[in-house]
Amino acid sequence: MTVRFESFPGTALSERDFEEGRVLYVRDDLLGRYAWDTGVAIGHYLNGLRAGVILGGHCRHCRRTVVPPREFCEWCFQPMDGYVPLLSTGTVNTFSLCYVTWDVQRLSTPEIPAVIEIDGASPLCGIMHKLGEVDPERVRVGMRVQAVWKPVEEREGAITDIRYFKPIEEA
Amino acid sequence: MALLKRGSSDPTAWIGQLPIPGRYTAGLAGERFFRGLKDDGQILGARCPQCDLLYVPARQFCERCLSELVDWSDVGLTGHVVTFTFLFRDYDGNARAEPETVAFVGLGDGGLVHRLREVEPEDVFIGMPVVAVLKPADQRTGSILDIAYFRPAEA
Repeated sequence: MTVRFESFPGTALSERDFEEGRVLYVRDDLLGRYAWDTGVAIGHYLNGLRAGVILGGHCRHCRRTVVPPREFCEWCFQPMDGYVPLLSTGTVNTFSLCYVTWDVQRLSTPEIPAVIEIDGASPLCGIMHKLGEVDPERVRVGMRVQAVWKPVEEREGAITDIRYFKPIEEA
Repeated sequence: MALLKRGSSDPTAWIGQLPIPGRYTAGLAGERFFRGLKDDGQILGARCPQCDLLYVPARQFCERCLSELVDWSDVGLTGHVVTFTFLFRDYDGNARAEPETVAFVGLGDGGLVHRLREVEPEDVFIGMPVVAVLKPADQRTGSILDIAYFRPAEA
């Protein structure tokens, strides 16, 4: 357990203790429903995804294009000047191989969340998404990737309108 | 052109839901207390001889002197109303067809918060003797709801 404790005091319970009725328990199933306001800039960004375009926000003053777009430039605090369509390609800035789901179930094939610097945005400006169609062993920082979009009729104005990013085949 | 105006076709909100399943175990003393309720139809208390307190529901330790409580006993199903309130809303905040009466029922030196039924709201009073109505043994699950409700005790 730790250097000082070989075991923690307490009563450990296994899944079988519950299944076989050795322990009394009350189960409840709460459902947390929520509506997360997109705001102006992210709302427009999501609408762009529905149309198959990744939009950035441009600050003329700082000559900087960020993605996803924001209403205000985080450098000069002035309102951004406009939206800029970016490319659907980019470069892996960082990634992780994730062997657990959001509710802590084990995965044998990892999910690969990654930050992807989008082509057309300023350096180090990117979005968090997933990588797919790639051998986890082969993922590298600096890898060139492209968005795999859902078919138009399935898109709903959500970040999941991009299924994942896959490696660009080297010519 | 500053980005300060929402586009007419832009999504305004992301709608989602987060399931939050949970299992609540009652702990060592709670397990024994609810077994007593489920299997024997008893409400168990635990006495601290040093502090002369009868804890209901039974606990493992005295919260006053921290000694372990080993003297467990059935305190019976009869108690009295310490305080009560009427609920006109349900868990979701909707109006109830009939108000629900909830009381803190004193048992020993402790007690239980539970429903009060078989009594008109205007007839409830502090100090009223009440008795627990248990569910049939085969329907009890080891929950506080194994006590269906409390009702006025016959004089």
